[in-house]
Amino acid sequence: MGTQQMYDAIIIGGGHNGLVSALVLARAGRRVLVLERRAQLGGAASTEELIPGFRFNTGAPNANLLPPDVFSLFRKHPPSFMQSEVMSFAPQLDESAVTIWRSTERTAMELATHSANDARSYWEYARQLERFAGVLAKMAQLRPPSLTENPARLLLAWARLALDLRRLGGRDMMDFMRVLPMGAATWLNEHFESDAIKGLYAAYATTGVMQGPRASGTAFMLLYQHMGGLQQRAVVGGVGAVSAGLAAEAQEHGTEIRTGSGVARILASNGRVHGVELENGEQLTSRQVLSNADPHTTYLKLLGPAQLEPRSYRRMRSLKLRGSTATVHFALSGAPQFLAAIGQPERLQGDIIISPSLDYAEQAYDDAKHGRLSAKPVLIARIPSLLDSTLAPARKHTLSVTVRYAPYALAESDWDAERERLGDLVMDTLAEYAPNLNTLVEQRHILTPLDYERDYGLAGGSEMHGQMGLDQLLLQRPISGSVGHRLGGHAPQGLYICGAGGHPGGGLTGLPGLLAAQQALAEQ
Amino acid sequence: MAKQAQYDAIVIGGGHNGLVNAAYLSRAGLKTLVLEQRHVLGGATVSEEIYPGFKFSVFSYVVSLMRPEIIRELQLVRHGLTMLPLESTITPLPDGRYIYRGPDSAATFRSISQFSTRDAEAYREYSYAMYHMAKAVKYILGIRPPDPTSFHPRELMALLKLGKHFLSLGEENIYTLAKLMTMSSADFLEEWFETDPLIATLSASGIIGTFLGPRSPGSAYVLLHHYMGEIDGVFRAWGFARGGTGGVAEAIASSARALGAELRTEARVAHVITRNGRAVGVALENGEEIYAKRIISSLDPKLTFLKLVDQNELPSDLVQRVSKFDSYGSSGKVNLALDGMPELSCLPGYGEHMRGAISISPSVNYIERAYDEAKYGRFAKKPYIDIILPSAIDPGMAPPGKHVMSCFVQYAPYQLAEGDWNSQREAFGDAVVNTLSEYMPNLKNMILHRQVLSPWDIEQTIGMSGGNIFQGELSLSQLFFLRPAPGWAQYRTPIANYYQCGSGTHPGGGITGAPGRLAAIEILKDAGKVLQ
Repeated sequence: MGTQQMYDAIIIGGGHNGLVSALVLARAGRRVLVLERRAQLGGAASTEELIPGFRFNTGAPNANLLPPDVFSLFRKHPPSFMQSEVMSFAPQLDESAVTIWRSTERTAMELATHSANDARSYWEYARQLERFAGVLAKMAQLRPPSLTENPARLLLAWARLALDLRRLGGRDMMDFMRVLPMGAATWLNEHFESDAIKGLYAAYATTGVMQGPRASGTAFMLLYQHMGGLQQRAVVGGVGAVSAGLAAEAQEHGTEIRTGSGVARILASNGRVHGVELENGEQLTSRQVLSNADPHTTYLKLLGPAQLEPRSYRRMRSLKLRGSTATVHFALSGAPQFLAAIGQPERLQGDIIISPSLDYAEQAYDDAKHGRLSAKPVLIARIPSLLDSTLAPARKHTLSVTVRYAPYALAESDWDAERERLGDLVMDTLAEYAPNLNTLVEQRHILTPLDYERDYGLAGGSEMHGQMGLDQLLLQRPISGSVGHRLGGHAPQGLYICGAGGHPGGGLTGLPGLLAAQQALAEQ
Repeated sequence: MAKQAQYDAIVIGGGHNGLVNAAYLSRAGLKTLVLEQRHVLGGATVSEEIYPGFKFSVFSYVVSLMRPEIIRELQLVRHGLTMLPLESTITPLPDGRYIYRGPDSAATFRSISQFSTRDAEAYREYSYAMYHMAKAVKYILGIRPPDPTSFHPRELMALLKLGKHFLSLGEENIYTLAKLMTMSSADFLEEWFETDPLIATLSASGIIGTFLGPRSPGSAYVLLHHYMGEIDGVFRAWGFARGGTGGVAEAIASSARALGAELRTEARVAHVITRNGRAVGVALENGEEIYAKRIISSLDPKLTFLKLVDQNELPSDLVQRVSKFDSYGSSGKVNLALDGMPELSCLPGYGEHMRGAISISPSVNYIERAYDEAKYGRFAKKPYIDIILPSAIDPGMAPPGKHVMSCFVQYAPYQLAEGDWNSQREAFGDAVVNTLSEYMPNLKNMILHRQVLSPWDIEQTIGMSGGNIFQGELSLSQLFFLRPAPGWAQYRTPIANYYQCGSGTHPGGGITGAPGRLAAIEILKDAGKVLQ
């Protein structure tokens, strides 16, 4: 076997983070190869024609979290966005609804019809949400400091952030530290009295964690989901356009991209990685490997336990994946009519949330905790074709529904048996709010947590590549002992996690890809 | 016109923290008066003869956290404090098996190995790791929380010292500590063990006194909090004071008296008297007014800030914070006077195991389901119960041949969805006795008297708002410099000469005496003295 390196870096997985990494490395003059197992790029940031004529966002639903630093990577193929004025709409069974608009004033005015107190509180809540999420957004863009190795520049950046935090002013700074580890329920109860608005935010707060809204750390997730500010930003042509644009940019800088190329093994010896072996047996060499696969798959399956110190192995095995999200995509022959939005279709252009109260969301979690699909699930539904008519045939629509909670591990059944029941449950639940839905459904496509594992390679069905609980964040993401986006200690050099399993975590941010690539460049 | 101060200090509330505080103030030469509303001292640290001949540790039931420096400095042993070890825990299981952990590590090993040899080995490592963790956190229990928003050199230094302390723990310990601060107790323990009833019993320490389930993040911290006491003795050195937990309060009271403090019972304070933003005295409910140079409240934050003083004298954001301070209790207590000693069906007889704790915690899901009920405002029909028989260790607690049984029960939410505690109390008591009977079939026939206490009853009897046994949840957002409210964690209040020293301040609840002592340090500092 020749000793010449074929590539400077191989990226395992062509999700949006992998493509960001590829682009950053290629622009720095590196010879990069991206290997994607599926036929299509994008991973969990794809738009796929699951049903002929209907195109669905199969992972991330929007580009709310895409930060300017990542957007500025686009030169020739930038995606275009569409802002919707409505962020979320939460219909209630009594045909009333709460609508969160981008405009705080408009939201507060409408809330006044539910509760004058809540309308007043919303001003302060929105201010805190934006301010605290802004601090998180800054933290998300910095590589977490490690306990063992810290370049001086990194410490300086964190010191600057600490100073920023102090400049928030005593009261806001204290509140930030107080709110961060809270249960979302506690925080929401401090602000609001009406169930409808608290339930709505509970749906965001429990995204990516197998916890109910009472659990410590869910206020963090609520802030995380608002890191991009108070906005609802759709991608023209679907979220896949972001991945496609990144791929095109990377290719212009000489990046080679192979789809249909699954990686079987990461090759490492003498404390260094030196390439990968494909599922077809082909071996490719490179000095660095950046894995967009989740940490479980990367370290336990592709690299193998033998290459890890017992301590790292133990920690990796204990990594909490806890996938609990399923999605049902519908091809509709027309627009669904929600009883709470008759004659006001613009209210349906953002997230449509079925989560009428904190207790409703908590009970949905209780089922999942004991290994059952929620009897009354929390749903986040989106009808992207309302804004973007290219996604469906004329006058028809696409409806994508995120289901919480659908635990990966079922206590008394398995997902192959439960799949159709899940689809029915979603239709029945939504039909209580939009009765004409049943007559509109032409076809449906169900993705259970098991499908996310099998088709998209997400171990444990975890869309965040590991639950985003407080114990799996920052320097403990993915596991304790991480140094930035690689493992510390005696783990093989040259291997990085560039997906959601690295800091700052899941969502369409591109930040793990950006930070991992920067670290790989610096450590070459 | 200000009246002449009759005392240097008045401490409101004769719970153990109030007494510790008063003892230290007296020791530094301040003329100190303690005012207790009830006829007995001790607050929640009290033993009472509820039924003739039977003495109950009515509320708190074990002592593990009492700071050793307080025992030493206040000479509590000389004042009658005798600690009796509570050395074992047995977890009976519905299938007739049990897990026993005791002072004999070989017996513990044998018992756990019947479920898993791996766990039996891991148990030793785990005990060792927790010992180290508790040691690492001991430092934090002993310091006044710094103010992270302040640029004052003193505060910056304190932060720096804290940072240095953490870094000195070493990489491994820092990670473990970070996990303990953020994880659920079940998750934390599942990284060590595979035997569900063992995980359940150990994780129960993470829920005691808090409104969390074993799978709720944050419960691992409470687990650590309950391990704190074990640093200066053997592993799991939970114990009793002779005479019940009231024995602790009596020893502290005796020490305080000897140091010159005056202790008055049945003296209920109506409010703190202020003049020009300074506390100058207290008004009792009987109309009497007593003046002093400084007033210290050992009551919970809600009473301290919202009841004892006029809210208009406080910054509005503090009032807002304190009114939202989470202090809803979630645990109840059932005290039984028994005609004899009950028997466990899984291990009949009256061996060593009856002198330790009996834990009804057969599985994590069992406790979690009990929590599920409480979340929606119902008491658990199948609760987690931590049982001890004080009279098996300290015969003075009951007449010869008879016994007292203390059952700490979770969950019993302060706020019930339907009905109130007056109508639900006995049903709750029945649920506890029925659950116990599944493991101790002969128990029911032995019950001479039953006392059932819900969080509401705790509030009614000793005043603690919401009946939370820690004077407020031990959640991350209510700890350290956030306890009881941001900016007011250093035992002072916005009213000059008015201080706080209860469990609602750092480092929180349990029979530790730490808040009382740390507050005394600050009060004496302001008085130009140092704690001796």
